[in-house]
Amino acid sequence: MNIKLLKKSDLAVIAAVVAVALALLIWRYASASEKLEAVVTVNGEIVETLDLSAVKERRAIETKTTPATVIVAENGAIFFESAECEDKLCVACGKLNRKGDTAVCLPSKTVITVGKAEVDAVTY
Amino acid sequence: MKKTGIVIAALAALILIAFVAYDGIFNKSVSVDFFAMNTVGTLKITGKDADETAKKIEAQLDLLDSDLLSRYNENSLLFKINSGLETENEELAAYVRTLIDVSRKSGGAFDFTLGAISDLWDFGGNASIPDSAKLLQELSHAGYEKISVTDSRIVSADKNAVIDLGAAGKGIALDKAKEILDAQNVRKAVISVGGSVLCYGEGDFTVGIRNPEGNAGEYIAILRTNACCVSTSGNYERYFEKDGKRYHHILDPKTGYPAESGVVSVTVISENGLLSDALSTACFVLGVEKGGELAKEFGCEAVFVTADKKIYATDGAKAMLTVETEGYILAE
Repeated sequence: MNIKLLKKSDLAVIAAVVAVALALLIWRYASASEKLEAVVTVNGEIVETLDLSAVKERRAIETKTTPATVIVAENGAIFFESAECEDKLCVACGKLNRKGDTAVCLPSKTVITVGKAEVDAVTY
Repeated sequence: MKKTGIVIAALAALILIAFVAYDGIFNKSVSVDFFAMNTVGTLKITGKDADETAKKIEAQLDLLDSDLLSRYNENSLLFKINSGLETENEELAAYVRTLIDVSRKSGGAFDFTLGAISDLWDFGGNASIPDSAKLLQELSHAGYEKISVTDSRIVSADKNAVIDLGAAGKGIALDKAKEILDAQNVRKAVISVGGSVLCYGEGDFTVGIRNPEGNAGEYIAILRTNACCVSTSGNYERYFEKDGKRYHHILDPKTGYPAESGVVSVTVISENGLLSDALSTACFVLGVEKGGELAKEFGCEAVFVTADKKIYATDGAKAMLTVETEGYILAE
């Protein structure tokens, strides 16, 4: 390519276009943010997404499942506070506040996951 | 501005847009939780057909339980076979044939006919120590040697022997999922069904081995693998405690009581889901030494976590393993 064919203004336009495109690429691939995001799903559908690092005051999340559960977010953690299911294994999971933490209530088909796990899966 | 500049700028933009579009179509990613087979699962799929594949797998696994493997659903083939209403099914016969092989080679440490004994313990519901006389009575009806398979026909020599595929169902589900993935345009997938994991497609995968003393999601070691199936049996999954003793759901077929081999979890890595699942139970009952030998006999790798926080691994598994949690050590 003969660089003399291009004026300074041409180069500026090319640089601007490439910069915008690169910015879009970076935005696309860097979507996994630094926030500590908690996701609550019922039967695979997301019912609540929240940034735990921004949660200070107690906040109850309604899922309207049967059996009913009470999910609470407070002080950077999220947890099943109570559940009307038989085994209450979800309540026993305690507070979730680290990347990869998970709690499941099988009877109500509710899952809480925190952050994106650092492994592809956990076998148990 | 000259035309050349505009053309070059437009071309550069076009190439980048085409790249993003191509990536968006062919590297499309889907991640969903689902409930099937009385457990929770996760589908993470990358590829052009990611959405469609996720839906197909979810639907298939629902049917797998209700139509084939469920011991309690009156419409399932297993229910009918246990009730003596049916004897023939090619697919189920193939699974049972493999399970007879695992049972035999494990010297009876694995047995898929303990359905009635599991019901007495009722780990999924109101668990308690069963009456020992009842336990012995049911144990007398159990035994994999009583089940035979000829072509697609499954025959039981004792009508009270109850076939239970609970120790193999999640592995079978992974094999089913793999069949669907093979037929779709998918680059990579990680499918978890109740803690049994299928790593499918290109590249490396990282699978955490659950911390037996921690919450779901916490792991003590990481396996770096290529495509494979990984299953774990642990004494922390379904259990109750009485008088300071833990009673867990992995039963020793010889006694009908929870197996006590000094291990708290066993993870098996195999190309085949059914084998990984069944062998993890068999290896749990057998313990480190004999379990390791059994895994090798099937061409599989295994990782054992013992009650004293030691991690034993077969040679192949050792090469994949990194211990992540303080307090646990990799034994030589």
